[in-house]
Amino acid sequence: MRKLSPTMTDQVGATSEVCMTSPYKAEPRSMKLRPLKWNWPGFILMLPALVFMTLFVFIPTVYVIYLSGFKWNLLSATPKFVGLKNYVELFSSPDFRESLWNTLFFSGGMMVISLPLGLLLAVLLDKKLKGTNFYRTVLFSPYVIPLVGSGLVWTLLYNKDYGLVNRVLSLLHIAGPDWLGSAAYALPAVLVMSVWQYLGYYMLIFLAGLQSVPDAIKEAAAVDGAGRWSTFRHVTLPSLAPSIVFAMVVCLIQSFQTFDQVYVMTGGGPNNATSTLVYYIYNEGFQMFNIGKATAASVLLLVLLSVLTWLQVKMSNRWVVEE
Amino acid sequence: MINPNNRLERGVSHIILILFVILILLPIYWMFVSAVQTNDNIFSPRFHLLPLNVDWGNFVQAWRAEPFGIFFVNSIVSNLLIVFFQVITSSMAAYALAFTEFKGKKTIFFLILMAMMIPMQATFIPVYIMLSKVHLINTYGALVIPFIGSAFGIFLLRQGFVSVPKEMVQAARIDGASEFRILWSIVLPNVKPAIVTLVLLNFVFHYNSLFWPLVTTNSTNMRVIPVALSYFLSQDAGQQLQWNLLMAADLFSIVPVIAIFLFGQKYIVKGVANTSLKG
Repeated sequence: MRKLSPTMTDQVGATSEVCMTSPYKAEPRSMKLRPLKWNWPGFILMLPALVFMTLFVFIPTVYVIYLSGFKWNLLSATPKFVGLKNYVELFSSPDFRESLWNTLFFSGGMMVISLPLGLLLAVLLDKKLKGTNFYRTVLFSPYVIPLVGSGLVWTLLYNKDYGLVNRVLSLLHIAGPDWLGSAAYALPAVLVMSVWQYLGYYMLIFLAGLQSVPDAIKEAAAVDGAGRWSTFRHVTLPSLAPSIVFAMVVCLIQSFQTFDQVYVMTGGGPNNATSTLVYYIYNEGFQMFNIGKATAASVLLLVLLSVLTWLQVKMSNRWVVEE
Repeated sequence: MINPNNRLERGVSHIILILFVILILLPIYWMFVSAVQTNDNIFSPRFHLLPLNVDWGNFVQAWRAEPFGIFFVNSIVSNLLIVFFQVITSSMAAYALAFTEFKGKKTIFFLILMAMMIPMQATFIPVYIMLSKVHLINTYGALVIPFIGSAFGIFLLRQGFVSVPKEMVQAARIDGASEFRILWSIVLPNVKPAIVTLVLLNFVFHYNSLFWPLVTTNSTNMRVIPVALSYFLSQDAGQQLQWNLLMAADLFSIVPVIAIFLFGQKYIVKGVANTSLKG
């Protein structure tokens, strides 16, 4: 039997569309199917997935907005309607503002550090050096390890007196700080651990993008006398634009969900220095049973995520066109 | 043929890559070094990169310290159930999107794209409340049911499905085959790699998740691996903590995902690449 699944090499030239920007154009409609208004089998096949997604994604999204208008502790019988009071309370809460700031710092840091590094590694792997497969396997491997598992070993690495990080620093006669115990260093330390975890994933996305740029184009540019850097800047980078947009959007969504590593490594501390939005929601909802405030924060998380994603896609569309 | 400039460039590339390989492997190596030492040796003032002693018994002790057998069964059974149901619902939905026309199809496709952007972490409170109303909290039901329908699964499979020629489907229809039959005996055999990719990515993703099991389970009997590891740390923190046993437990907990990654690497790499290319 023929294998008909697309492979990475089959996809040469298929990158002009990215899912986020143009959901409809991507599907070639070469052949017309039966022109049916109501295709019952089609709808019935869609139904199971649709029912479960409605129950566990769409209804909860509406429900979370509804709940954010009430004061409720999960236990009392009747939630009390309070209008927008939960939102007002959120913004006057220093804990929430700190969590919001931490999340933005963390997302920005992830984007600024792991995307360029991922791109660098992808470019190096695209040179088809000896051992490329080995490099790729090793560099990607942290991505499949549970964040809890790697969070634990990084906690040990960051130990003030006996952690490997400070032991190495002390060889260089630098007295390392108490990484996870100090308000100034804890969040950057968690950030570094997360870059370690996710770097290989972005590398792989960029590598797939690079490999779908036809060699002929790069060679043509080289023949025309374009330098290495100028080929990269004017040929490779623009054709990589869809992958970059995708990586940025995924990075944003992923960073906004940060919870596991914080829960394991710092418990949000010291003094809220590493509390993220999701950590705040978890804490407010399931430790303090303040459902109103927790759901209001959830709504803000959703709104912020949609606005930032929309902005990214919008801005990068312009960038792609300009190129 | 190779000019010296080119050789220099290759050399520098190798050096950078090897540096990153060392940085990436170091934490995993350190997990191993700490797992085979005594706790005192982990905190020995002597600088060491090799373990000061090697005691394989730590793995046995760690296994016995908590009911890890139960945790593994919980993790593996609940994740296999998620994967099983998700493959069924996603392949049916992907077939409907790729090969049939029906009213509202575009709206549904748009909703699926939207759903991919709504993280569980933003909607878990309503889901928790709904499940507690039907008394499913702290059961396999809570671990599995919310993930049966998956936007990501539908999206991934649809990408594989559109590569099956529409002519094949059309021909089967003319022969009078039902849609279910076409899906089962014509489309699915042609998209095995896409299915394998979904199974592997999904299993790894759910095996690794802490958040939802932490929220919905509370008894030791229902604990899954990530929750068990996180409890290990919080229960007796500080100097008393048996870091060597914790690292040993950490190591055998990641064995399943590492094994899946090494054996199914081809599919996982392809899956990650495919979701980023091509709508």
